[in-house]
Amino acid sequence: MMRFFLRRLAGLAPVALGVATLTFALIHLVPGDPVIAMLGENAAPVDIAAMRHQLGLDRPLPAQYVSYLGGLLRGDLGSSISFHEPVTALIAARFPATLELAAAGLTVAVLIAFPLGFIAGARPGSAADFGAMAFAILGISVPHLYLGPLLMIVFSLRLGWLPLTGRGGLAHLVLPALTMGTAMAGILARMLRQSLAGVRDADFMRAARAKGLGEFHALAAHGLRNALTPVVSLMGLQAGALLTGSIVTEIIFSWPGIGRLMIEAIAARDYPLAQGCVLVFALTYVVVNLLTDIAYSLIDPRVRLG
Amino acid sequence: MLALLAALTMPGCRAVPVQAPANYLRVDIDTSPLSLDPRYGTDAVSSRINELIFDSLARIDARGAIVGELAESLERPSPTELVFHLRRGVRFSDGRPLTARDVKYTFDSMLDPAALSPKGGDMAALARVEAPDDFTIKFITTRPYAPALQWALHGVVPYATPPPGRNQPAPPGSGPFRLRRLVRDEWVILDRNPYHRAPPAAVGGIAFKVVPDPTVCALELIKGAAQFAQNNLPPDLVAYLRGRRGLRVVQAAGSTYQYMEFNFRDPILADLRVRQAIAMAIDRDALVASIMRGTARVATGMLAPENWAYEANVVRYPYDPQAARRLLDAAGYPMRAGGRRFALVYTTTQGEERRLLAQAFAAMLAEVGIELRIRTYEWPTFYSDIQRGNFDVTSMAWIGINDPHHYYMVFDSAMTPPKGLNRSGYSNPRMDRLLEQADATLDPVRRKAIYAEVQKLAAHDLPYLSLWWQDNVAVMSREVAGFRPFPNGSLRSFASISLAQGGLLRLPPEAPEAALR
Amino acid sequence: MRNLSLAAGAAIVSLLLLAAAAGPYLTAADPLAIDLGQVLAAPSRAHPLGCDALGRDLLARTLWGARVSIGIAAAVVGVSLAAGTLIGGVAALAGGRIDELLMRAVDVLLAFPGILLAIALAAILGPGLLDLVIALAAMGWTGYARLVRGEILSLRERDYVQAARGLGASPVRLLLVHLLPGVAAPLAVQASFGAGGIIIAEAALSFLGLGIPPPQPTWGGMLDEGRAFLLVAPHLTTVPGLAIGLSVLGFNFLGDGLAQRFGRRT
Repeated sequence: MMRFFLRRLAGLAPVALGVATLTFALIHLVPGDPVIAMLGENAAPVDIAAMRHQLGLDRPLPAQYVSYLGGLLRGDLGSSISFHEPVTALIAARFPATLELAAAGLTVAVLIAFPLGFIAGARPGSAADFGAMAFAILGISVPHLYLGPLLMIVFSLRLGWLPLTGRGGLAHLVLPALTMGTAMAGILARMLRQSLAGVRDADFMRAARAKGLGEFHALAAHGLRNALTPVVSLMGLQAGALLTGSIVTEIIFSWPGIGRLMIEAIAARDYPLAQGCVLVFALTYVVVNLLTDIAYSLIDPRVRLG
Repeated sequence: MLALLAALTMPGCRAVPVQAPANYLRVDIDTSPLSLDPRYGTDAVSSRINELIFDSLARIDARGAIVGELAESLERPSPTELVFHLRRGVRFSDGRPLTARDVKYTFDSMLDPAALSPKGGDMAALARVEAPDDFTIKFITTRPYAPALQWALHGVVPYATPPPGRNQPAPPGSGPFRLRRLVRDEWVILDRNPYHRAPPAAVGGIAFKVVPDPTVCALELIKGAAQFAQNNLPPDLVAYLRGRRGLRVVQAAGSTYQYMEFNFRDPILADLRVRQAIAMAIDRDALVASIMRGTARVATGMLAPENWAYEANVVRYPYDPQAARRLLDAAGYPMRAGGRRFALVYTTTQGEERRLLAQAFAAMLAEVGIELRIRTYEWPTFYSDIQRGNFDVTSMAWIGINDPHHYYMVFDSAMTPPKGLNRSGYSNPRMDRLLEQADATLDPVRRKAIYAEVQKLAAHDLPYLSLWWQDNVAVMSREVAGFRPFPNGSLRSFASISLAQGGLLRLPPEAPEAALR
Repeated sequence: MRNLSLAAGAAIVSLLLLAAAAGPYLTAADPLAIDLGQVLAAPSRAHPLGCDALGRDLLARTLWGARVSIGIAAAVVGVSLAAGTLIGGVAALAGGRIDELLMRAVDVLLAFPGILLAIALAAILGPGLLDLVIALAAMGWTGYARLVRGEILSLRERDYVQAARGLGASPVRLLLVHLLPGVAAPLAVQASFGAGGIIIAEAALSFLGLGIPPPQPTWGGMLDEGRAFLLVAPHLTTVPGLAIGLSVLGFNFLGDGLAQRFGRRT
């Protein structure tokens, strides 16, 4: 277990290096200038040159790349050009909001997906199966940018149950979490259904039925646990989609998360901040997948980590 | 699994969610201000908020005239000297008195190249600032320089305020409000400045909330979650909100100038007849009525009629597609097979209104045989292309033009980027002479006469096709009383605003039919 | 056995393909013709689905949009599928360092937020169909590569493949004749889900301003354009919203149905 963990942690390094390099290359390749974004359109050429010099933007790209990597090794993501603050501080201030939203979205997804997947998987081919799956897929079919405002109009404006925007207590979390969670719910439900349908004929299920357990109980007591492994690994892979989905959701719901910060940083060509946000996004994804692999081993004793 | 979720959620829980205090005006803004230090904030939201926190020597009033604020009076003892006599008894929001030393420091720090203030750029003609005594400030210019009074509009910070940094979101100012809390991408909450000289405002403060999406902003206004929003709603939403119970729209003439710019490096566009034809092919009245929903006035030039130097008597190009076709024929671009003469690339940004406009322009120009190929880019890419002269036709806006000196920045032939903002590469020796003469002319009457010539020449030469001046459109709850619009969009009247019933008036939920119509 | 999903999916997808193919003949209206007198017009006899913010016929735009949106989905899935199969196949067959390297690249891309890539490509290639397809495919191939690699690694151990290898089949022949047919079924399922995902992704990119430049209609673009009028003229979002929903529904049913048909997990 420990060896596996260490090996996976070591495997993080090349991915992080790859992401950092790709981000650096892309953002410097795109036209635009952080200094103009910051100083404004009327900035004097002298000021622009002075600022470029102070920020080190007049150095050759390879030199900038090397010092960026050097900073990364020391855990220093640099200082944001537009906010005059350390990138780590800015990200640390926003990251909890995105995690909170992603976790809530995941919770919603699980809460919707498990009943649907179970109903469908218990009797594959039945009308209940088709109905549950149609409902699940419907969730996948509605884009966030459409679902978000619709939920706002119905639940906040018309019914007045929930606040429209912003981050605060649990009530603020419901609508954005629903927006983020429905699509993932559909994907998870489908996976659970297939997985359950797959284990229905397994030996241990026959044994359970032979013990006199009803179909439903057999599935709930024995099938579910075995069917869970692919679902959990899919959740990990979906983490990427969840984080990307958070960008649109954060903009619509004025959620102060890292997705919005990243979009703003890219738009301002705030190189250090944009690089930092992308890196954090990527590392989160990798770490979540590492965690799901561990969860995997806990659920399914057949899986040996080695 | 659930433990994992709980663990992930934990760091997100904050002890106290930020909220707008009662009796604070709730205002929606579309982006977070970049800097609440007036020496550094250049974006529109920063400017609006900084005007509330900081006083300046002079200010533009609701009629568009420059009036004294910290300065009680002004003298010009010589052509290169501007002397301001400061008001006494002014205090910063931390209680310190404001003196000439603070004003001098503010300007010195903007001029200091090491401080990298974006506002130092247009102060090249400012030789130095002197403070002969506590209540006198003297600008000394390198040459007789008429636009010098514009510098008096910069907000004043206390002596020795360092450049902005992590632990200093905003310095104190002497304006009607002071910063209570800044949570980036969420809130900017202002309290009343207890040391402000004016009678205390009726509201406890202003709570600006960042809501990037315009549709959501409209929903907030309908619900009453927001009580005020200015210039961040598209015209159609404004038209929709106009009829809503509980809301009021205040629309007032604005100075924001929308124009279409032509690249003179393109041989087709270098021909005046082609530019004239384009001008006559675009039905600006129809666009103002449809896409802008009447929230703009068709423009004749960069300066709006409220500006002291405005000249009305310039060439105009009324919509006349027939005449446009004749001009294009005469210019040597006959209609060819497929109803097309030539194609131009129209470069624009991705904003919703920009995209609509681009398509409307394309449709109108297609009528006279010009194919307009639309390219949309995200802003920094777009701006970089425009600055490098990498465009045929584009359309942009100038916001907050007070002084006609701006003509020098955009039309003088020496001002091509990166030095200035003459992106079209327009060059006319007569224009250059007029612009340099205007800057050296201190007498306002003679200066106005020169700018009248400038405006006539610009309208004739068409480096820009003037589209319209956009109105300032504020949508507010009926609880809000005492708001006065400013042509430049300033929110300074928040200092004297009040909220009926303490802003606690709740509107009943709307009927479903009304909400979705 | 009944396969409702397959039937429903096939029916919806055929309908969409038909609409895309025959669209221009189903309405006389020009999807690009602007009529400022008809701005945001409600559905009427002349415009069965109403008009958009520039007075353009929504039915015509939706039908034309089907071509572009489904065309994009098909192109992206095609390119991703081809690239993913090739790279996944090479990784599985070559093994060792090459496998390691390629899978690391997949990891990097899976972890990378695609939005930055989309912005970069729009700036470099110029915004348009090509840049959108490349950006989406550049992020999309990784899923197929992982799938193909995994399937081949497990197929390779099967007797018939071992036998073919023993008889001296070349790696290329091995891949084309013996391995790919085995991979085809899960790939078809994944491609079907993928097509739905691309249609949603196009909408999200349009929201972020990275869609196809106007005036070309796409469903994602129309949905985003209409969003500003959600309160004023809801039909502007309902129509492309339904089109997107229906097509994603169709592709997902199709994928489910195929999975049931081939009796495998997806």
